[in-house]
Amino acid sequence: MGVNESLSAVVKAFPQARLVAFADLSSRMILSSAGKLSTTQEHLDRLCDQARASFDDPLFSLSVDAFGEPHSAVIMGPENLRVFLRSDTEPADALCCICDHSIDLAAFVAKIRDTLESITHGG
Amino acid sequence: MIAEADDRNPLAQLLRTANETMLGRSLQFDSASGPSLTLDVSGRRVLRLTAAIGLAGTETCLGIEVLEDEHKDNLIKLLQAVAAPHHELRVTSGPIGRGGEVVSVGLPVALLADLVLIDLNDLASDDGFSEPEVEPSEPEPQTMVPAPVLPSADGLASFAETVGPELVAWLVVGGDDHGRNSGPEEMVSHLQGFLDDERDSVERQLDALSAEPGGPICVTLGATLIDGHSILCARLRSDVLLGVVEGDGTNATLTAWRSVLS
Repeated sequence: MGVNESLSAVVKAFPQARLVAFADLSSRMILSSAGKLSTTQEHLDRLCDQARASFDDPLFSLSVDAFGEPHSAVIMGPENLRVFLRSDTEPADALCCICDHSIDLAAFVAKIRDTLESITHGG
Repeated sequence: MIAEADDRNPLAQLLRTANETMLGRSLQFDSASGPSLTLDVSGRRVLRLTAAIGLAGTETCLGIEVLEDEHKDNLIKLLQAVAAPHHELRVTSGPIGRGGEVVSVGLPVALLADLVLIDLNDLASDDGFSEPEVEPSEPEPQTMVPAPVLPSADGLASFAETVGPELVAWLVVGGDDHGRNSGPEEMVSHLQGFLDDERDSVERQLDALSAEPGGPICVTLGATLIDGHSILCARLRSDVLLGVVEGDGTNATLTAWRSVLS
């Protein structure tokens, strides 16, 4: 299954996921995306920047010192929530998602983890 | 001091101290009888033995990068030796050494406790020892007890309490809930120390993630967010909460956040 198909499968399984995007955090680029949310390139760039900020200090160092390197972040705002997932093996590969508050977050995180694993390893 | 001279089972106190250590710490246990032992502990697991004084048989465990199942019997003997009955036992906590961030290995404290028949949650009895006779004391004079300070209904302390038991430690700074906290003292102290040093940096990081500078936001950061531990950081008005989640707190946190926003 290609990247586009994988992302579309996530959106189909979770209608509350408004945007699911595959990103290269090192180059700050969204490489592929799926979902009903209309976005501009500026929005996608900002999403990438927020993903990088999520895995930045000081909270990154706190996590490393306490439990180890974080690969998952959920950002809950007043309007929506963003989920950022980095690959365990290719840290620059990430899924960046914008979701409604009504989503089953635990199930969604598990789903996109499998999806990212599949994309990263070309499965 | 975790065990007094009249304590018949300091080993139970040693294990409970280690079991309450969620964030990576180096724990040095000093017995008044002479021996001393230092452990790297994190996530309720003993990762390694880093130092030992006055104890025989340390060669089987000392210097091992990460303790494994084969080391548990020898480790227990060392713990029993340093936690000698009827001797004071003191603990000194310090920063963890190398590899402290890895919590998926090491020996679970609960396993060690099971092997020596210690109930980590039972403070009333240890290994079946009976409680010492307590002399009846003079009745305490009546004193006025101040009413408990309740968290503000829409504040971060209320949010933390709504998240539930998955949020094993938390602290709020700023606003009406300033200073409110819950969880093991060492964890809360660690969170406090971090915020004392990094509050401004935390605010800047939250500004980068929120819709507007100073806006409400809740961040969870972890390896998987489903198992292990995660960091929880939230801001509401001028208040900041920092906490530790154990296991899957995703839906509980989201439900609590929606509640505080409503």
